[in-house]
This record gives sequence, C-alpha cells and structure tokens, in this order.
Amino acid sequence: MVPALILLTILFPWAGALLVSITGDNHPRLQHFTAVFFSAVSGVFAVILLLNTLPVWEGIVPAWVATDPYFSIPLGGAFGNVSFMADGLGVYLAAIATVIGSLAILFSVDYMRGEKQLGRYYAYILFFIGAMAGLVLTANMLFLFFFWEITALCSYVLISFNNDDPKAVAGGIKALIITQFGGIGLLLGALLAYTVLGTYEIGVFIEKAPLAIPAFGLSIAAFGFLVAAAAKSAQFPFQTWLPDAMEAPTPVSALIHAATMVNAGVYLLARFYPAFEGVPGWKEAVIAVGVITALLAAFMALVATDLKRVLAYSTVSQLGYMVYGIGVGGIFSSQVHLLSHSVFKALLFLGAGAVIHSVATRDMRAMGGLGKKMPFTRIAFIVGALALAGIPFLNGFWSKEMILESGLVDGPRIAYYLMLFGAGLTAIYTFRMVAMVFFGKPRSELHAHDAGLAMKIALGLLALGACTTWLFTGRFGTLLAGTLPLHSIHYLGVKELAAELFTAKATYLALGVVALGLLLGWQRERLTQLTSLLRIPAGWARDSFGFEWINRGISAAVRRSADGLSYTQSGQLNWNIAGILLGLLILLILTVLGS
Amino acid sequence: MTLDPLILVAAGVCLLAGVGLYGLLASRNLIKIIVAMQILTKAAVLALVAAGAASGKINLSQSLAITVIVVDTVVAAVGLALGVQVRKRFGSLDAANLASLRR
Repeated sequence: MVPALILLTILFPWAGALLVSITGDNHPRLQHFTAVFFSAVSGVFAVILLLNTLPVWEGIVPAWVATDPYFSIPLGGAFGNVSFMADGLGVYLAAIATVIGSLAILFSVDYMRGEKQLGRYYAYILFFIGAMAGLVLTANMLFLFFFWEITALCSYVLISFNNDDPKAVAGGIKALIITQFGGIGLLLGALLAYTVLGTYEIGVFIEKAPLAIPAFGLSIAAFGFLVAAAAKSAQFPFQTWLPDAMEAPTPVSALIHAATMVNAGVYLLARFYPAFEGVPGWKEAVIAVGVITALLAAFMALVATDLKRVLAYSTVSQLGYMVYGIGVGGIFSSQVHLLSHSVFKALLFLGAGAVIHSVATRDMRAMGGLGKKMPFTRIAFIVGALALAGIPFLNGFWSKEMILESGLVDGPRIAYYLMLFGAGLTAIYTFRMVAMVFFGKPRSELHAHDAGLAMKIALGLLALGACTTWLFTGRFGTLLAGTLPLHSIHYLGVKELAAELFTAKATYLALGVVALGLLLGWQRERLTQLTSLLRIPAGWARDSFGFEWINRGISAAVRRSADGLSYTQSGQLNWNIAGILLGLLILLILTVLGS
Repeated sequence: MTLDPLILVAAGVCLLAGVGLYGLLASRNLIKIIVAMQILTKAAVLALVAAGAASGKINLSQSLAITVIVVDTVVAAVGLALGVQVRKRFGSLDAANLASLRR
C-alpha cells in the first residue's frame, strides 16, 4: 500500500508531464484538463499517504495499512538502493507540493489562457511536482541530490518561460547557477557519508554519523549541507536569486518560489538536524544565517515597488525565520511555520497573480484603489496578508509565535530581539503592500476585472487553509514526533498551545510589535521626518545591500579568466596530441606512485 | 654475454613508439600523421605479442593483436579518406588549416 502510494505520488505527475507534451499545443483545452487532472490525482494520492501514515505512527494500525513505511528497490552497484521512507517530514511536504501544486495549476487555467507553448509550461510544472515529492520521500542521499537538481532545472526552465525576454532568461540562469553551487555542498556531504559509512541511506547517516564520522569530516558535511540549504532556500549570502526569479509566470512563483522548492533547504536542515546538532558552531551558524536573512530581506521588502518582488523578499525573510527556528532546535515550530507559510504565501502570490493578470503591470506605484474592482481578490489577499503579519487566529500567527517562543527559550537573546524586530518590519511592509495595491485613490488608469472562476476556486481554498491549518497542529505534532525519534520534538495540541501562548508575556510583546508595525505602516505618509532620516539605509536596501555588486564582480571575474584560458584552445592538432600525451604521462606517474 | 630477447623486443617497442609519437607531434601533413599513427599501433602490436610470449598466454595476446590490426586498418582507411576530402576542400594537406578555433 505505502510503496504503491509513494510511487504513484511521484510518477503520476511525471506521466501527466509526458501526456501534456504529447498532446501538443494545438489542443489547449485538453492540455489544461490533463494538467489539472494529473496534479489533482497525485494530490489525492499524497493526502491518502499522509492519512495512511498518521495512524501507523500513532500506534493504531488498521488491517489495510502496511506497517512498514520504508521500502527500497535494489539497483545494485554504486548508487545504493532506490529507497523511500514515508515518515512525517516526507509525507506532509509531499502533500504540500502536490496539493498546492494542483491549486497553482488550477489557477493557471485562467492565468495562462491564450498563452502559446502551454505544453512546455504544464509539462515542467508537473515534472517539478513529481520531483519535489521524490525529494522529500526518498531515503537515499544520492537520490535526494538527483531530485534536488531536477527541481532546480525545472525552476530554471519555468523562470525563463518567456524566453523572448532577456530579463527572464538572465533570472533563470542566475537561479540555476546559484542553486547548483549549493548542490555541490549536498553532493560533497553525501559522498563523504558514503566513503565513511558505505551507504547512502539517510536513516543510517542520521543514526551513526555523530559517532562514526570523524569530527572534521562531519563538520565538512554539516557546513556543506548548510551551504546547499542556504542556496536553495535563498538564504544569506545567496538570497539574490529569488527576487530575480520573479520573472516566472505568477503561478510558478507561487508554487516553486514560495510554497515548495525554496522549502527544500529548510527540509534538508530539519532532516539532518540530529546528525549535525553536535557539530561545534553549526547551530550558531544556522541561527546567524536565519537572522541576517530575515532582517535584510525584510528591509528590502520595505522599499521594493514591484509587487512580486515584495512577496519574494518576504518569502526570503520568512524562510529566514524557519532556518532560525531550526538553529534554536525548534524543528517542530519551524515545520509548522513552513506549512503555514506555504499556504498563505501561495495565497498571496496567486492573489498578486490575479491582480497582475488583470492590470498587466507589477509596479505597485501604478496600482491603488483596486479593491473596489476586485473585491474577491482583495478579501483573499488580505487574509493572506494578515496571516503573514501574524495577526491572531490565522495560521501565520500561531507558527510565528511558536518560532519566537522556541527562540526565546533555547536561543541567544539578541537573536530573539532581532527576530522580534523583524516581525514588526513584516507588519509594516505587509500593510504598505496591501494599502498600495487595493486601497487609496487609483494612481493610474488601469482596466481591472476580478479573478476568473478557476482563480477564485484556488484562492478560496487557500484562504480557507490560511484560516484553518493551525487547527491540525496537534495531529501534525504526533505525526512528526512519532516518525522522528531522534529529532527530540516537543509538540503541543491546539488547546495546550493556545493556553501556553496566551499566558506568555512574550506573545503579547510580539503582538505589540506587530501592532506597532501596522500602525507605522498606516501612518507612514505622516512620518515624513522619520522616513527622510531612513533615506540612506533605504537606498542601500534598494541596492540589495551590495550583493548584486558582488554577484556582478564574480561573473566578470569568471568571464575574464575564461577569456584568458581560451588561449589554450588553439585547435591545432599537434598541440592537442601533446595535451593527450601529457595527460597520459601524468596518469602513468600516478599509477606508478599509487602502486 | 647473451641478450634476453625480451629486452630486445622492449627496445623495439620503445623505438617504434618514439618514432610514432614524434611523427604525431612534429608533422603537420595529414598523410604523415596517419603513417605515424600506424607506426604507433605497430609498437602496440609488438608489445602485445611480446607480453603474450612472456606471460604464456599466447592465444589471448595473438587474438588481441589481430583485433588491433583489423581496427588499425579501418582507422587508416577512414583517415586516408578524410585526407582526400581535406585536400579537395582546402587545397592542401596541412592540418593547421583545419583549426577553426582561431582568435
């Protein structure tokens, strides 16, 4: 039962991808239908897998459930077995990938109507969904790496979907190069584990690594994985690729660059936390990465004028919260925030997509007063925005408070206050964004219409999710705690959680900061003195704090050295033969020395 | 003083390989390059036969030598045919003319 479900969750979208591309671009209706059908069915499989896994780990095993959630297909040779593990972390992330994936595809039916090359679009989204499910379900580090790279490639293709647009192509290549750089860290860790332990199994690694691998090797693996996670989740110092990835069609941004792929880094850190927790300096490094990213990105969100870039910076910032949560040992709270964030950020992105589709611009300075023309979108967007700001009883409130609480209990005090400050910044930029788009007077003549039916369904379901997912916190806790015995997960049911949060002073402090942020966002027009004081740091934030300058420097240096090296490629036959002989000589010497 | 025949053979292999490699490195004429390649492969065949004699696995070494000869003939045939085409297109047999990666 479980093996079949896992394979279906991964292979069904892939089969859909194949079918969509076979269908051909002359039958757009059939393509829309195929894509929605295959993604929705894989979503159903993933949810069944989730529900199936829940009782196994709670100790109640119905007769129809396979007790062993682990299975492997022997492949022989160097790759190890293709093994899969349906544990708490995996099944819930697979469910997020497939369910939000199917909602994003449903949204695309309206958003991409009339576009050419739908086959390419849907095929890569479906391919991505399958790969993402594989990434979180596999129990083999090498296959983790393969799936990791497949998601990066799909992300690249979809960012550059409008390949007539040089900005889209440049954004795609930037994302590809930076995430590939991180992939090297992952591969390095996996190969290191293989040379010491003789297996790629993640379970074995987590169990034995702290004792079996020498301290130096383990810290190489730990920091290699941290680099991989930072590059994938757009964390400091790799955060620059995500805003440029916003050239992708908006449903792609919602799915890949908000709800799923960028979470892979957080997943990696959470998955391997027990193995690396003892490495000196690792937890501190994770905390530092999270805090720096959360604050930098929040500042940049404050000054950005492109609606999707604000959301991208906000995603980077919220991912920083999750990374910080892992650094302080709050695996559970960071995973709850991951769940909340996927739902409300997908909602915000799809809402932004509805706006952009309707007014055909992403510049918030040209918007304003759109709420009257798009009432449904406004309501959905505001629900998402309130969840992002952390207003009570929406899912973002619960998870953000949980992260801050873990930070207060187990983390350094200074990091906690910085993150609290970040929560205030989040409230300010959220308010600014909503006000600039939906309220006030229209700043330019824009022809706007409300979202179509498919868009409304997707937005409505996600808004419902943003209001309700916190109710499942308790079940989610049992799922994680039951499957991840080594992660030392402390979870609480909703009632205990509510009791704990509403009696703690820290919660009211955080709420006060959020309220202050909202107030500042509301009164920002009147605080001209304050804003003029902050003009210089705002300029830095607009220049992305110099990171773009570093990126340009690196790419110029690579270009120059490649130019220099190209002199070695003369194309002369005799020189090439000399090169071959030299290589042969080196190999001979190495063989002689080796024996 | 008697010379071990194997040493004589090894010296022959070295000589042939040296001539072949020198030809590959130094000549720009395509025909000469192909001839040099032939000499280099003859060194390999000689080495195979000698190795078979030394290790006693004569059958294996001879069958490998025959395979090398067959492959070598094919390589020579294709190489000469390419040489004819190059002569037709470029008007000379100079390998330097073939370099399209020019700066």
